[in-house]
Formats: sequence, structure tokens, C-alpha cells
Amino acid sequence: MSSDLAMIAHLMRRAGFGASREELERRLAVGYEETVEDLLHPEWQEPVDIYEFLRYHHLQWKPGTLGGIGQVSWVWRMINTNAPLQEKMCLFWHQIFATGVSKVDHYDEITDMIDMFREKGMGKYRDLLLAVAKNPAMLFWLDNNENHATAVNENWGRELLELFSMGVSNYTEDDVRECSRAFTGWTMTPKLPRFHMGRWDWYFEYREDDHDHGDKTFLGETGDFNGEDIIDIILKQPATARFVARHLYNFFVADEVQVPAWPVTPPGDPESVDFLANALMETDYDIRAVLRMLFNSDFFKAAQFRKVKNPTEVVISTLRMAGDAELPTPDIYAWANHITYMGQELLNPPSVEGWHSGVEWINSGALMKRTNFVADMVNETDRPGIRRLIERAQAESTTPEALVDACLDLMGPLQFNESTRAELVAHAVQNGVCGGNGKSNAESAREIAELLQLIVSTREYMFA
Amino acid sequence: MLTRIVADRVYDYSHVVGGRQITGMLTLTLGQDDDVFVLLRRPQNSNITKITIGQTPGDEEILTQFGTRGAGGGEFMWPAGVAVDSDENVYVTDEWLHRVSVFDKDGAFLRMFGGPGSGPGQFNRPSGIAIDDNDDLYVSDTLNHRVQKLDKFGNPSIAFGQRGDGDGELNAPWGLTVDSCGCVYVADHKNHRIQKFDADGEFVFRLGELGDGEMQFDHPTDVAVDPEGDIYVCDWVNNRVQAYDADANYITTFSGDAQELSKWQHEYVLSNPDVYKARRRVYSLEPEWRFALPMAVKFDPVKSRLLVVDPQRWRIQIYNKLDNYDDPQFNI
Repeated sequence: MSSDLAMIAHLMRRAGFGASREELERRLAVGYEETVEDLLHPEWQEPVDIYEFLRYHHLQWKPGTLGGIGQVSWVWRMINTNAPLQEKMCLFWHQIFATGVSKVDHYDEITDMIDMFREKGMGKYRDLLLAVAKNPAMLFWLDNNENHATAVNENWGRELLELFSMGVSNYTEDDVRECSRAFTGWTMTPKLPRFHMGRWDWYFEYREDDHDHGDKTFLGETGDFNGEDIIDIILKQPATARFVARHLYNFFVADEVQVPAWPVTPPGDPESVDFLANALMETDYDIRAVLRMLFNSDFFKAAQFRKVKNPTEVVISTLRMAGDAELPTPDIYAWANHITYMGQELLNPPSVEGWHSGVEWINSGALMKRTNFVADMVNETDRPGIRRLIERAQAESTTPEALVDACLDLMGPLQFNESTRAELVAHAVQNGVCGGNGKSNAESAREIAELLQLIVSTREYMFA
Repeated sequence: MLTRIVADRVYDYSHVVGGRQITGMLTLTLGQDDDVFVLLRRPQNSNITKITIGQTPGDEEILTQFGTRGAGGGEFMWPAGVAVDSDENVYVTDEWLHRVSVFDKDGAFLRMFGGPGSGPGQFNRPSGIAIDDNDDLYVSDTLNHRVQKLDKFGNPSIAFGQRGDGDGELNAPWGLTVDSCGCVYVADHKNHRIQKFDADGEFVFRLGELGDGEMQFDHPTDVAVDPEGDIYVCDWVNNRVQAYDADANYITTFSGDAQELSKWQHEYVLSNPDVYKARRRVYSLEPEWRFALPMAVKFDPVKSRLLVVDPQRWRIQIYNKLDNYDDPQFNI
């Protein structure tokens, strides 16, 4: 296996949803840093035509909430995007600014928020934070429409500090109160009811008459602050840079402890988190610039297979690898549901804290769902990606050992410990599985598919 | 404005038919008298719903429904287009099962034909369907990027179009119609234009390009022609219907005028106090008037009226084309 190819594969797993061997080889020819640059510029790519999807699934424009299936248009985008980092950033921000249909009750409003992440997710964090503060789904999710000059609601103000910027222990209860006062009057226009002719948009509205214009003292500064002033003060705090940096590290580099433990558990790799925090401060929170530094860093390159794949990565990377998922089909509902069954119901996180990640993705039920889904897909040998993989494995191996190594290489390249590899080889030897054993092509393909099913069932395969 | 006088034509908004009863509507076809066959496509249960829409608000009633989800005879997975022949038999394309199913006017399943492929009489995601005065069928064979002409038993005669963006070439054709002379107008969906072909499938002209101005469309989904030759284009992503004369000169744009609720919508609002109140607290009801991704347009030559399928709002907006209109004096 080429270490350069393995590094490109690592990049594509983290900054995207994996890549076929053919794509990896194309990108290898272009170069690692050039691939990073390509990923950082979604505007260089042909965008997904969402109307190609709505043409077949027209009810997904503003879908109902009862079915629990409003995430399918995003799932289809992730399968088909030519700009995978852009969608990965949507997932990253959705995990942080976790907003759910369980309360908002309008998939389209949360999808609009995802669209906003798609537009601003690699820009300046200030612009993103301001857009989140004005997003109707967020306003409703955290009750800021109930935050009045004469009756302050602290939900948004508290989460802005606790989960969206600084993290607990970096501010006081008085700061929460003053922050919330600054966001009074930030609300949304009344929405037409959904029941007699479908759903309608919400729009941000600033109500001057409902804003508290009194002086506020926030993080040591005093003035007649409005929401934008609060965001500017927040961004001056080193704690904010460290908090965002740790999120970036946790999502793209290596699994950290869960967010509630951050105040008491230092980062596993404090130097790298500090590096990212400094980069955020020095670039005025330019997310694209910081991602460039992250993906080109030694600590990122050294972090292969140190993250448990999240359910979205499991499903999307499998579908992109298997192929034949580009045209909209009725299967999209089942695919979206598989992500949910594995523990990540998109557009409906369990709380404002988002999903717990890393090893917490894995329990006995979720593990079975992961394994069964991927194993079923790699067994669909008519799918072009699986067919190509099997054909290359057949061509590159004449012994069971060589076949196992070829499959591990072509599926990743994957890093398996020797005992797992030995089990796979034993299976291949016992069943006489190899590429050139005189069996019919179909029989050989079936046996290789079975070997692929064993590979995707291993502990090692759960890591990205 | 509800009445528009433009280019010696008068279009007068009539009324709206719709409500929760027809959620999932994708297109429709005209039956006899005031009947229409509405195609409802839903993830769990698709069907054809026969409705009488009447002449005035409040006349609409559901008459019957037929078809259900499945792959057997008389069942649909992804019904996409519907048309009626001179015996009022109903033809329904299915773009997942790659076939056409035929029912009588009461919904009894008669036969089906087609199947996946690119040979004559086979389809790859067929969608729009129209029937000419001889009861021959024209089907948009969408992902084969062609239009096929077949008899009503599915025997193919001619096919025209191939993938491309040149004259006579198509990219994912969708809705189509046949005029009284036998010419075929096709919504060339992913080329963002309309193309006209003669009865032999020879290219006549093209109309439009990608954009949101006059003579421009964004993913057009359907086209209709009235007895005078005026052309109506369902300009899906631009949320409008545009009208052109027979020489492809721009006439006007319809954006939706449903200032009053349909009978079924009105009943729902009145029977739900919170809905009634929530509707009254919004700053403007104008968004309710407008089309939202309209998907189909049909012209009823007998009643001289234009029907616009406004599926995201679960309704049909109806405009009369008047030929006996007296304009009131301006200083009234």
C-alpha cells in the first residue's frame, strides 16, 4: 500500500465521506495539499441540483414532521455532492448548533439552517454566529421569541455562552443575564399555519420596541449592548477560540471526551488544540484558513483511524463507495432511516448539546445496525463501486493472503491488526477464496463479497 | 390583479380547488364535463383521484379514487403523468416501474405496457403523457431523452429526440401536450426550454433558456396550448406560468391569485380555531395567493379555462380566458 495514497484516503474520510479507489488515485496524482485546497473551495465544483431530487420527491420541499423523514434531501445531497467538505461542515455545525424538529416541528426551517451552514460554514465564525442568532429555527428552539425587554428568557443567551462559544466556567450567571438582555427583541415574524395549504417560511424580525436598551455589563465591558455587540465581545475571548478549536479537533482529528466534560478534562492533545485556537485568533476566526492548517498539519496526518465513524459517515461513505445511488430512488427514505437507527437522527439531535460522539456511537444495537447495513451493501455486487472493487481484487491476487491484503487495501487502505488479518486469511484459506482459483467469475465474486462482509464487520472498520 | 387584459386577450382569475384531500398532487388531466383526474403521489400511497371541479367555488367534490402503492397490475410506485383517451380511459405513467397503466373511467384496471429499457416501446422513467385526437399516445421517455408515440395498446410508432441541447434534442423531457393540428410541445426540463415538434416528430421551434426573465425558464415541468395556439409554460422553479402566442411572443406571467380559500381550505380553517387565529395574526396573506413550485398546467378548451396545478399548496388555481369581456369605464 502506498503511504501517500493512505494519507489521501485519511483526508477524504475526515474531510469528506471517503472516496473510491479510482478517486483516491486521481487525487494522489494531483497531490495532498492540492486536494486540501480543492476541498476548501466548494465554489470550484458543480453544485448539486436539488431540483433533480425534488423532481422525484416533490413533497420534500417543505415536508411534514409526522413521518420523521424530512432529512432525505440532505442525505441525497451528501451522497451526490462534489464538495464533500462543504457537507461535512454542515454536519459539523449541525452537531454544535444542534437544533431539532422535535421542538421546532418544521423540517424546512432546520434545513434552511443547514443551507446557511452550507453558505457560511467555511467563512468567518462571526458571520456564522450572527446568522445562527437570527435563524428562526434557533430562535424558536431556544425560546428567544419569548425573550422580552420586560421578561428576559435566558435560554438562548445561556447556550450561546455554554455551547456555542466559550464553554462553562468562562463566564458568570450575571453574564448570562446581561447577554440575554442584549438579545431581547430578536424574534421572528408570525408564520402562516401549516394545516390548510402546506408550510410557510419564518423570517427574522428585530423588534425595537421589545429590546432592552439599558446598559449591560458583559464580560467586564459596559454599554447599551445589542446582540451583535455581545458576539463581538465573545469573539475577543481566548476561551471562545479554544472552545471552537477543541470542537474542530474532536470532529476532524481525534475523538475527545464529551463536551460536558471539557471544563474538567483537558484536551488529549493540548498543543494541537492550542495551535488551532491561535490560528482562529490570528485569522479573525477564518474557518477556511484554519481548516487548511488543520488538514496540512502533522497532528492531523498522524491521526489515522483515531475516530469512530459517526452514523452519517457510515451510511454516506458506504453509498458513495457502492455507487448507483446518484439518481433519486424510493430507497432514500430507508437510507436516511438507517442513519437514525444507528443513533444519529439528522435534524433531530437529542438535545441542544448535540450527539455524544466517539465510542458513545457504539452500543450493541447500533453496532449491529452498522454492520448489517454495510455488509448488505457490499453484498450488492451489481453496484458499480462494489463490482469495480471485486474486479480489482480478483486481478490483484492469486492467493488467499494476497486477496485479503488486496481487499484491505482497496477498502481503505485499512489498518488491521495482525490477529484480525489472520482470521480473515484463515477464512479465505478455509474456503479457497482467491482471485484466480479457477472458479467461475460469479462464484469468485460472491466469495469476495463475503470476505468484504467480514471486513466491514470488524472493530477496525468502525474507525475513520 | 384578478383580471388582466393583455395583447388582445382577457384572463380572469376564477377560483381555487383544493385542500388536504389532494396533498401529494403532482399533475392532472381533464375528463368529461367538469371532471378532472388528479394524480396524487405520496411516499406511502399514491392514487388517481377523480374530482368534479365545477364552474364556481364550492362545486368541487371527490368522485372516486383508484390505484394503490405496489408493483402489480393497477398499482403504482412513482406515478408521474396522466392522460385520458376519447373513451375516458385513464393512462398513467410510472417512472419507477417504467410502464404505462390503463384504467377505465371508473378506475377498473385494464392493462399495462412498457417496461425498462431503451428499445421501442420500452421506457426509462417515463413521465409526461398526452393523447391526440386519434387516441395515440405521446410519452416523455425522460431518461431516454426522447418522446415516444404509441397506440393505446403500447405499440410504438415513432420516437424523436436524443440527449443533447441542440434543436430537436432533449434533456429529461417532462410534461407535453398535443395541439389540434397534431403538433407536440415538450417541456425540455433540464434544457430549460419548450420545444415544438410536428406530428412526425420533426423539430419546429424552441422557446426559452435558463433564467427568470421573459423568454426564460428554470426547470419547466409542463406546457399547454389553447385553441388559439397560445402556449402556457409551467415555469417550476420560477414559481410562475408564462403565456406566449403561437409565434412564441411573450404575452403575460401568472404568479397565482388565490385571494380566497377553496371550499375545503375554508372548511378546515373555520373548524380549527387556532388555525383561524394564527392565520389572522400574520402581517400579510399575500403569500397564500402565489404559486409555490407549480408543476403542471392544462387548458380546458371546452370551458376556455387554464388550470394550474399548485401542488405544494394542495390546490388547482383556475383562470378563465374570456372572449366576451366588456371593460368597465375607468372613472367608475
